[in-house]
Amino acid sequence: MSNTDHHQQQGRVTMKTSKHIKTLLLSACSISGLVLANPAAAEVVVADPDAQVDHSGTLSILTKFGSQQLSPYFVDIAEKYQELHPDVSIELIQETDDSVKDKTKTLVATNSLPDIFFTWTGTWGGNFIRGDRAVDLTPVVGPDSEWGKTLTPAALDAFVYNDRNFGVPLYLDAKFMGYNKKIFADVGVEVPESFEELLVACDSIHEAGITPVSLGNKESWPVVHYLGQLLVYNVPVATLEKDFDPSTAEYSDPGYVASLQQFDEFRQRCTDGAPNGTSYETAVQAFSDERSAMYYQEILEFDESATEETTMKPEDFGFFKLPVPEGAKGDPDAIEGAPEGYMVSAASDNIPLAIDFLKFVTSQENGKILSASPYGQPSAVIGGSDETTMNPNVVAGMADIDKASYLMPWLDTVNHPRVAAAWLSGLQSLTGGSMAPEEVMSAVRDAASAARQ
Amino acid sequence: METIRQTPDGAASCGAITDMQGPSPTRRLFDKLLSLRWVLLAVIIVSGFIYIPIVENFRVSMTNRDIFTGEVSNVGLTNYQRLLDDPVVWRALLNNTFYALISIFFQVFCAFVLAAIIEGLRNRRVRNFWRAVYFIPSAISTTVTGLLFYFIYQPDVGLMDAALTFLGLEQFSHPWLALESTAIFGIIAMSQWQGFGYSTLLFSIAIQKIPRELYDAATMDGAGPVRQLFSITFPMAREMSGLMIIVTITGAFQVFNEVMVMTSGGPSNSSQVLGTWFYEQAFILNDFGYGAAIAAIIFVVTMLTGIAQVWYTRKRRVQL
Amino acid sequence: MPVSAQQTAPTDIWSTLARAVLLGFLLCLGILVIYPLLWMALSGFKTNSQIFNAPFDLPTGFSWANYVAAWNQGVRSFLVSSIVVTASSAACTVLISAWTAYGLTRTRMPAKPIITAFILGGMMLSPTVALIPLVRMMQSIGLYNTHWALIILYTAFRIPFTTFLIRAYMLELPSDLDEAARMDGASDRQIFWRIMLPLCRPIIVSSVILHVLFAWNEYLFAMIFTSDLDVQTLPVGLTSLMAKHGTNYAQVFAAMTISALPIVILFFLMQRYFIRGLTEGIGK
Repeated sequence: MSNTDHHQQQGRVTMKTSKHIKTLLLSACSISGLVLANPAAAEVVVADPDAQVDHSGTLSILTKFGSQQLSPYFVDIAEKYQELHPDVSIELIQETDDSVKDKTKTLVATNSLPDIFFTWTGTWGGNFIRGDRAVDLTPVVGPDSEWGKTLTPAALDAFVYNDRNFGVPLYLDAKFMGYNKKIFADVGVEVPESFEELLVACDSIHEAGITPVSLGNKESWPVVHYLGQLLVYNVPVATLEKDFDPSTAEYSDPGYVASLQQFDEFRQRCTDGAPNGTSYETAVQAFSDERSAMYYQEILEFDESATEETTMKPEDFGFFKLPVPEGAKGDPDAIEGAPEGYMVSAASDNIPLAIDFLKFVTSQENGKILSASPYGQPSAVIGGSDETTMNPNVVAGMADIDKASYLMPWLDTVNHPRVAAAWLSGLQSLTGGSMAPEEVMSAVRDAASAARQ
Repeated sequence: METIRQTPDGAASCGAITDMQGPSPTRRLFDKLLSLRWVLLAVIIVSGFIYIPIVENFRVSMTNRDIFTGEVSNVGLTNYQRLLDDPVVWRALLNNTFYALISIFFQVFCAFVLAAIIEGLRNRRVRNFWRAVYFIPSAISTTVTGLLFYFIYQPDVGLMDAALTFLGLEQFSHPWLALESTAIFGIIAMSQWQGFGYSTLLFSIAIQKIPRELYDAATMDGAGPVRQLFSITFPMAREMSGLMIIVTITGAFQVFNEVMVMTSGGPSNSSQVLGTWFYEQAFILNDFGYGAAIAAIIFVVTMLTGIAQVWYTRKRRVQL
Repeated sequence: MPVSAQQTAPTDIWSTLARAVLLGFLLCLGILVIYPLLWMALSGFKTNSQIFNAPFDLPTGFSWANYVAAWNQGVRSFLVSSIVVTASSAACTVLISAWTAYGLTRTRMPAKPIITAFILGGMMLSPTVALIPLVRMMQSIGLYNTHWALIILYTAFRIPFTTFLIRAYMLELPSDLDEAARMDGASDRQIFWRIMLPLCRPIIVSSVILHVLFAWNEYLFAMIFTSDLDVQTLPVGLTSLMAKHGTNYAQVFAAMTISALPIVILFFLMQRYFIRGLTEGIGK
């Protein structure tokens, strides 16, 4: 199936183009039309739980399932929904992980956000709340509502802004250390119980001439993910949440520097080569090719890092939560991860229909389809998984997420963009050995104070 | 293709009776204005897509705009103040300067010497052959060469390490793009490899323009090829070198692709140049005001080199 | 530096030696330039493990599998986009520029120096500086993420340079031909199409080739104004491919080779015009 199948909107755009050519010269001469007014209402649009659903008209949806593997999911659901409601026509705009941000920004800038759109949690989702572009869904999907009770509480909670529910979580994501059971057995190491044991295991694997953990940090977010998990182990959650907000940020807790020192030691003992010059893809490949024993990855990737086609076979794949350092003062039961989900556009002229469609997507049946292969995305619907059709590792990973006391959001999405940029670049320097932990923290503090103004 | 239209002057010249006094002044003015139709389209396009956006860029640099709320706030020169306190801007300027200096050495000085060597060969076919060979990389997109060298530089699996191992020089293998101290130089090295053939070609043409008699006379006086190079070729092709230096500086401050493709400005912003830092601020962090301020620096530099180029060619009357 | 015929024996040895050293140097440099490109093209015929383990070996066989895979993974659509954008913008640019150059050299236009400076001045401005406003403009007129955006921008940003080239050539042309035609009552339009364009053929060809060289390889605009795979041109498409299949070196190399080949072939076929354009273009 080619990518173009999922870009029906392209056709619309080019059809419009010919009309635009006529106005082009006019537009070129008058720039005044470029400062776009924002028609979004000053009032927050709140969903009405008693609204009648009018099953007619078009419904446009921006998804993040544009990749070959994932794109059929929404295509199939849209077909099923249209069978139930023949007067509804669904327009899908399917983007990939890389392109969805760009696409969303364009749609926002031109005030043409679709009725339903994909969003991450944290700052990215907050943008839509700030701009009053998302519908307040509390009456329909709040934690006490009928629909809200069918969704995993932690996932639902991640889309709460100003104590109101703005998003519907679709699936959960979290970070685990994947490992190669065969290599572990050959070298004679056990799954480590503590962070210190992990470092010792790395030494043994090194001695056997294998890279313990493959790390590709050219894109600079992979190390940020390591750090997020270490921070929640070393710094109390309340302190972290206070520091996420530039107006109250201090970054004075000693756990910050401790986490950075732990990572620095991990980098020296567990990784090889020059991580900053290695792409993320290359690191995944090294793990799949059995050239490394471990690789820190998202549960969404479990289905991809060991397949029948890779050198490493699915039965050799195991995973564990990044182990807790001795004497850490944070929350040892927390896990780094975040749900991803959808919001309804405040500018939509058929909000009840959009809500009805989202309810349909988050049914148990459709949740099970999403959790199973080939998608392997752990559904945020309670009971939205069927262990018989799923990769057992994904099942076990989901159980771990359910047990977690707190979901630590990704550092680069929860922080103000400028603070996130300081984390990204500071940690890359730490990884390259050109910055000390204290220096990284002072760069983060500076960015937070700059962001406050 | 066209129908014979009754143009005002055409009407007169078709008939046998010509107006001895020529067209009336109003008619002449009308003709003059009508001749503007030849340039109208270009003027509109150039204004609409180049000049107006550039003026607009300066307006944007005085504002901060939030695309999600649509709010635009006027912040005066705040974004320009931020430039001064931003260490990455200085780093980027430094990198652009490195780019310019190293490129001047390889793509002006070395390319000139190489062109002189090639032009000294007897056989015309052989001369053409070498010029063409060295030019090939310049015809290929920087994206392709950037990606290619990204693979060549890869530690352990890249061609560079393999070649060093092959030559028994493992100790010199070095993850160029992965280290903050060397990433930009890895990129610059690629650029030299790609660009020197282009300048060599231009210098060759300039050298061909030098009258042969000068060399013949020098040979009579017993000057060897090296002396001839210094006493005839260099002075005669000096205009070309001046021009090439200016063009090289302009290019060095507009660098974007190769950095984007090879390192995206990393690790830790150590290989950012003005173009990539502008891109990151404007299109990744949506900080349009600040991005526009960075673009303003690029504008000033390229404007200055542009003026220098015009002034230089006017003054020197470069004959090519 | 021609070597004179009156040479004595000892200098003969030295000059032969010097010549040998020079040739050796040129040869090494040539290898340094060509080898990486050759390696790229040949690696497209290898498997990944061959690239890693035996980088210098010739491929064992010429299996087109990687090239076919790359072609189907999107290179085909990138190539189509590149051809559409390059061809359309080349036609628009050269036509509008020739038109403008005619006006600037053959008509009695008022304020000619100012208009000339205005149009040619566009050459000195860096496209980066116009980007933010251009993105908003393209978004607001709905051309963002279409081929039209690139065609229009490539045309706009190349008109100054191309006009400069063609204008310089027209200034060199003697004006008796068009004067004579004008005496015979031909309109400006007829003179332009029937006399000037045929006379300017060499520079038109050079302009088209230089424009193709620019548009085929352009990356900044192409990256910012396109986001869908089916709109992306080759340079941007390659980086998308790289992000997706970055570890399948062989396939990425095949894709890179496919995208580099057309221009290299064009260069060899049209060397004369290439060189003319480049030399005219530098002497602003």
